[in-house]
Amino acid sequence: MDRRAVVVTGVGVVNSVVVGASPALGAWLAQPRAAARVAVGHGRPAARLPEATLAGLVDPAEGRRLSRVCQLTIAAARLAVAESGVDPACGLGLVVGTELGDFTSTIAFADGYLARGAAGLSALLFPNTVMNTMAATTAIAVAARELALTLNVPTVAGELAVARGFAAVASGRVDAVLAGGVDELDPLVAEMLDALGDDAVRGEGATFLVLEAEAVARARGAAVLGRIDGAAWRSLAARPWGVGRRAESRAIDEARRRAGGRVPGFVYASASGDAERDGWESRVLAAALGDVPPAASLGALLGQHGGLGALRVAAAAWTARSGLLPDDAGGPPARVSGPGLVHGLARGGGHVALMVSAA
Amino acid sequence: MEAKEVIDELKTILVARLKFDPRRAAEVAETTPLPKGVEGSIGLDSLDFIELSIAIEEKFDVVMDESEDLSAHFASFDTLSRFIVGRRGPA
Amino acid sequence: MRRVVVTGLGAVTPFGAGIKPYWAGLAGGACAIRPLTLIDAGGFRCRIAAEVPGATGGSPRRSRADRLALGAALEALEDAGLTAADRADTALVTGAVGGGMLEAEAWYWARARGERPPGWAAALRAILPGSHAETLGHRLGLGGPRHTVVTACSSGAVALAEAADLIADGVVDVALAGGVDAMTRMCFMGFNALKLLDPEPCRPFDRDRRGMSIGEGAAFVVLETAERARARGVRVYAELAGHGMTTDAFHVTAPEPEGDGMVRAMRAALAAAGESAAAVGYVNAHGTATSQNDRIEARAIARVFGEGRLLVSSIKSMIGHTMAAAGGLEAVATILTLTEALIPPTATLVTPDPEVAFDCVPGVAREAAVECAISNSFGFGGQNVTLLFRHAAS
Repeated sequence: MDRRAVVVTGVGVVNSVVVGASPALGAWLAQPRAAARVAVGHGRPAARLPEATLAGLVDPAEGRRLSRVCQLTIAAARLAVAESGVDPACGLGLVVGTELGDFTSTIAFADGYLARGAAGLSALLFPNTVMNTMAATTAIAVAARELALTLNVPTVAGELAVARGFAAVASGRVDAVLAGGVDELDPLVAEMLDALGDDAVRGEGATFLVLEAEAVARARGAAVLGRIDGAAWRSLAARPWGVGRRAESRAIDEARRRAGGRVPGFVYASASGDAERDGWESRVLAAALGDVPPAASLGALLGQHGGLGALRVAAAAWTARSGLLPDDAGGPPARVSGPGLVHGLARGGGHVALMVSAA
Repeated sequence: MEAKEVIDELKTILVARLKFDPRRAAEVAETTPLPKGVEGSIGLDSLDFIELSIAIEEKFDVVMDESEDLSAHFASFDTLSRFIVGRRGPA
Repeated sequence: MRRVVVTGLGAVTPFGAGIKPYWAGLAGGACAIRPLTLIDAGGFRCRIAAEVPGATGGSPRRSRADRLALGAALEALEDAGLTAADRADTALVTGAVGGGMLEAEAWYWARARGERPPGWAAALRAILPGSHAETLGHRLGLGGPRHTVVTACSSGAVALAEAADLIADGVVDVALAGGVDAMTRMCFMGFNALKLLDPEPCRPFDRDRRGMSIGEGAAFVVLETAERARARGVRVYAELAGHGMTTDAFHVTAPEPEGDGMVRAMRAALAAAGESAAAVGYVNAHGTATSQNDRIEARAIARVFGEGRLLVSSIKSMIGHTMAAAGGLEAVATILTLTEALIPPTATLVTPDPEVAFDCVPGVAREAAVECAISNSFGFGGQNVTLLFRHAAS
């Protein structure tokens, strides 16, 4: 079957420390500093986006009916499309990964009923209670008219969305796809996560990438930021919300096979501060790679959210270009070379691997 | 209830339920067109009109029957307030 | 591109658990839309829905939606005769919207009353739509690619399209795919707020239709390569010959008035299957019975296939709109239409809408041998998908 080379031509990031396209991300990666933490819910420290940032990105008249998480998505998506210069009229797909969707609207919708009965229900809020609301509003905002998927999974939503977007382009179903992830932090969600024993450092934001068939991107003279050489997702045995024991990774093997069997020179892993899950991922990486090359996750710096996995793919492209791998603890970057592996493993067994190189 | 009072309530609804900026809502005149696509309108679409009708039912205790075509009444605050006053009957 | 066939079917529906009662209900034109019992409908104009009757099997610690999904998935795997070894390499694609919202709502409603009900941690753990895939993957030992798609009311059909892509692209040989949704307060209240619910059982394509009815259920199918099905010597129900997925990019709730996105989805499905419009004999319509959907969908079908000729029906007249399950349940109905040479009716249709230029099979099922049939599913946000099934003998 058709297996086309897939490149990254645009990046859009909106979170508490990076707002912009690939130059803004690169500037932060070169000297990463941690996002400031604020208390959310019952005092959980988390990285939250200042409201003023968002107000400057989405026009207030357009934003009247857009929930905050939809605005985050649209802002990052537009930055990525603008950087890539892709013409959506040529057929643009959309894949949105999210862990939590639009809980804020869902809760507000329920609260309307609980306070005032049927008359308190908001017709405007109801569409936001369905998790595809970010994809629906973003498809309108950027005129994406091909497939528009919303994928829901803990931890690896962003990685999975990019991997799915890669497959759509590689197989020839679309020439270009906007893929990434988004989440926001709601106080009640923070309370829920506390209740579930989730001890990951949480953040919020959106990151989107424009992925294109390399031949199509080159033909239109697009600047190429990196190449995705292979991507795969599988599942490892685990109870729902649980951490598994098995460590054999078919996702890594398959992504590497698609990338011509190359050995990664660096890794972006999905370490988030959830000790049990992080330990499982370390065992999976060791089983697949033997000697694990230098690794970063950015999780502690930015806080776990659905956009982070997509940000790691953009970061891997930057590292492949620059030879610099940021240090999660804030120390000097490591010098690395070759392609990188972006790896995600979720509680429950969701498992994604992507091989990324400089184009 | 007089048309003036109804219009003030409608402006409150515009802010509270339709999420309009309060300054923008204050600028809306009696004859400003409401529906999207009409020159000079405040750009309300089908979903906004459903929200507006739920709020009107709650606030003014009138029934907006969806099997009736009420679009003519939603042309402006002027037409809408007259419709609401008419439906409520004499105070 | 490898050919993808259907070798296993499973469903839990308002007609009960299993494919047999489901098809018997559809073939008999029975309407399963009745007064709501699962949630309090007081204060709403519409107080009916199509609920899955009786006790759903499985552990009561699981969410109702998880139990519905497990019932349908187990039936499909058993029907296809997949061994534990097969399952270790089987993909799972689930279409979902509500997740375990029904139980989470009970928790939140109690919380609002100042109570702290038991079992809330379990309810929260199962709240997200992606949680069904975790339950199914764990319980059924599915080790292949796994993902959950949320495209509102078309989620179940998109799941089948996604699984077909994984097989056609050579990622896996076998996949379990389908959709699930249990009744939730959110869904019921939301469609009430939008004034889209008929207080009586919905009447798709009827001149006097007044909106939709909500239902619940689950449907899963086993898809695999034609080659593998032949090698295993198993029954092939039909070929999933093509699909098309498009987005209106028009409005968050209203369909684009010309139906362009729907037309593109239907045409893409025809192109992917290499079929002409003339090869299709039946359309299992999205047919929600809202004023807009049915008019625009009928117009879109006419633009692709021409007026007249085709038979079109909406099984939502019998089981309501089962949300994320609808695309899966309608796919199963479309597959059985091919194998049984019987078109399920639009059971509640009395006075055909003169704007709908098709025979919508009012009231009673119709015998008709069909080579190819399509199933349309359209979700809020303009999320359109068309699945094209071809008769196994073709």
